[in-house]
Amino acid sequence: MMAVVRRELRLMRRRPIYLLASLGVMAFCTVFFLTFLKEGMPQKLPIGVVDKDNSSLSRNLVRQLDATQLGEVVSFGSYQEAREALQKGRINAFCMIPEGTYSDVLAGRQPTFTFYVNSLYFVGGALAYKDLLTMVNLFSGAVQREALRATGMNDAAIMGQIQPILIDAHQIGNTATDYGVYLTNVLLPGILEMIIILVTVYTIGAELKYGTSRHLMDRAGGSMSAAMLGKLIPYTILYTAIGIICDLILYHWAGFPMAGSIWNMFFGTFIMVLACEAVAIFIIGALPVLRLAISISALYSVLGFSLAGFTFPVESMPAFIQGLAAAFPLRHYYMFYVQEAIFASGFSGWYPQIVYMLLFLFLPAIVYRRLKNAYLLQNFPRK
Amino acid sequence: MKRLTYIGRWLSDWYAIFTNELRHIFSDSGVMVIFFLAGLAYPVIYGLVYSNGTVDDMPVAIVDNSGSSASREFVRGLDATRELAVSHTCANMAEAEQLMQQRDVKGIVMIPEDFDDRLAKMEQATVSTYADMSSFLYYKNMTMGANHVMLSQMREIQKERFSAAGYGGQQLSQLVQPIRYEENMPYNRTFSYSIFFLSAVLLIVIQQTMFYGVSMMAGTMREENRSFAIMPDRLKGRGISRTVLGRGAAYWLIYMAIGAYVAGLVPRIFGMPQNCPFGEIFVLLLFYVTACVGFSFTFSSFIRRRETVFVLFLFLSPICLFLTGFSWPVSSFPLFWKLFSYIFPSTFAAQAFINMNTAGADLSMVSDQMIGLTIQTVVYYVLSCAAVFVENHMLKRKTA
Repeated sequence: MMAVVRRELRLMRRRPIYLLASLGVMAFCTVFFLTFLKEGMPQKLPIGVVDKDNSSLSRNLVRQLDATQLGEVVSFGSYQEAREALQKGRINAFCMIPEGTYSDVLAGRQPTFTFYVNSLYFVGGALAYKDLLTMVNLFSGAVQREALRATGMNDAAIMGQIQPILIDAHQIGNTATDYGVYLTNVLLPGILEMIIILVTVYTIGAELKYGTSRHLMDRAGGSMSAAMLGKLIPYTILYTAIGIICDLILYHWAGFPMAGSIWNMFFGTFIMVLACEAVAIFIIGALPVLRLAISISALYSVLGFSLAGFTFPVESMPAFIQGLAAAFPLRHYYMFYVQEAIFASGFSGWYPQIVYMLLFLFLPAIVYRRLKNAYLLQNFPRK
Repeated sequence: MKRLTYIGRWLSDWYAIFTNELRHIFSDSGVMVIFFLAGLAYPVIYGLVYSNGTVDDMPVAIVDNSGSSASREFVRGLDATRELAVSHTCANMAEAEQLMQQRDVKGIVMIPEDFDDRLAKMEQATVSTYADMSSFLYYKNMTMGANHVMLSQMREIQKERFSAAGYGGQQLSQLVQPIRYEENMPYNRTFSYSIFFLSAVLLIVIQQTMFYGVSMMAGTMREENRSFAIMPDRLKGRGISRTVLGRGAAYWLIYMAIGAYVAGLVPRIFGMPQNCPFGEIFVLLLFYVTACVGFSFTFSSFIRRRETVFVLFLFLSPICLFLTGFSWPVSSFPLFWKLFSYIFPSTFAAQAFINMNTAGADLSMVSDQMIGLTIQTVVYYVLSCAAVFVENHMLKRKTA
């Protein structure tokens, strides 16, 4: 077996693809997601305003909107212009302030503002909408405050009147509602899953494709399990190391919230690495033709992102898709991560997920004979 | 006469290269899997996965320490929203936290003991919400549901108080709500995830499957000691445009068909809004598919072996998706990544498609994106010609 390990290490040194595909890709993606989403919450979103009133009151409103962290006002002369900008995706929302707003407010005629929101852009649309709502509610509050002050009410009582109920919102596991934290924590392990499946399929399949599998079996003394173990041990160490470095970068260096213990995350990462390798062996074993196996692996691992359910929750997907989601290690890793990093529920909370991931390890047994025959006989088409 | 023969020769060479390439594509099972299985099935799978679109009636636990009529009304209001459903009523926070940890509920609403007293004393009362942040949709539902109930109850309370103080009629409603507002979400009324996600991902599928397929072909040719750049010998290295355009036309033809299916038929199958005549979507496809062919040719020239493209570049698919700005807004892109996104035709095309197909923009409104695609086409055409030229040079040196 050690002979196989040494052979594999030599292969890794000779062909740069193995290290490039794992270390290079992972480093790129880590830099990408950490810098791309570093703001955490979008700032200075362009929000359109069509100010038909152009009074001191409406101008004041627009200034307030512009001053919020979230928004930056873009003024338009007409509804037409603003709508076009909305359709072009240049702004995610705009607000129409009708003519005569100021005099209507003074006369108590309740003018109506109209918001148009482009909810095709989820994050931008929802946030711009929220910003507009806040602005109008604040403004309503200000008008009430003036009216109540005139009646001689004190300021504390006025607050109780303007906003009788306050919502004190807590975000469990991501107090800052940081979009980067939410996405990166699952996307990076997802990329790792993808790399593991592809590289493992590639390294096992390449022996078949380039007809070197018999040489490998010789080295392993004719034992298939020694060949596979020897081949995968260097990769398992490499991926586990990458996974752990990744955990360290996220939870230690970048300071992403971690309610539980980072040691448990290391453990979960290690189990995920094993599960992904098992899936890879299953794919190449079931289809010992590299070109097909690699295409299938690509299709499978890309789907993993959607079916992990961290963007759109799995329980809201159709029933037959929910069952399918269980066939992806990333799904279980995500559930594990939620228990450990968000709820800190420890072993009792996440052990089912570890069990599910370990179940993947039975997959290679199913294709063991078939892969062994393929290795010995090389009886599958090479191209 | 001579000129005519040149054109005639050009066309016949082009045609030979074109049909030859088509033959290669259709006899390669791996490429067929990527083009047809992935290109045709992926959009459908995504459509099915996200067919429900919204998370409705998300289960929340209530800890009502007040037990007053006002708090009960608040709870009833929460249950009535589309976003939330009160699934558990707990005696204390510990119990509710336990439920959240077991993931039976995705949020907790806690109404404190003094809720009713404070309202009676006209002080501010507080309601605490706890959202499970493992998915932003949970957070969105919690926030929208709770705010909705809070605002409507707030207005009720204000109305009661003002009318007790002797206000009435128009004056009362003016005090409670000096400015009214209406909201319009014309393109995606319910914040449906399927419209949001599919609109962006459909066009990514076109570019990515084409890129992977073309690269597999380029790798295969290299392995078989041919090259993507091989030209008819009698041309003495002068047939670059024939080779590029001939091979390109083969992929272009296949992908115009796949593209029409992905951008025209799939949205219809899943009942997505189609606010743009297909003719204009087709024009967008003409530009996009052309740019994709150039993009794929340029970058596939680096691929030496057939399977390596997946191992090395599959990770680009999720990254391209983010670079379209469908989720994280373009206005918040760091400058470097904004420039980086211009490498990919999908950046422009997905933006244009979202704006046209769902927001009903016409071609003139997406002119920026169309110009982007045109520039890409020109640049990538030149680059893929250069790749063929360099490759030929190297091949010749090797044989010489």
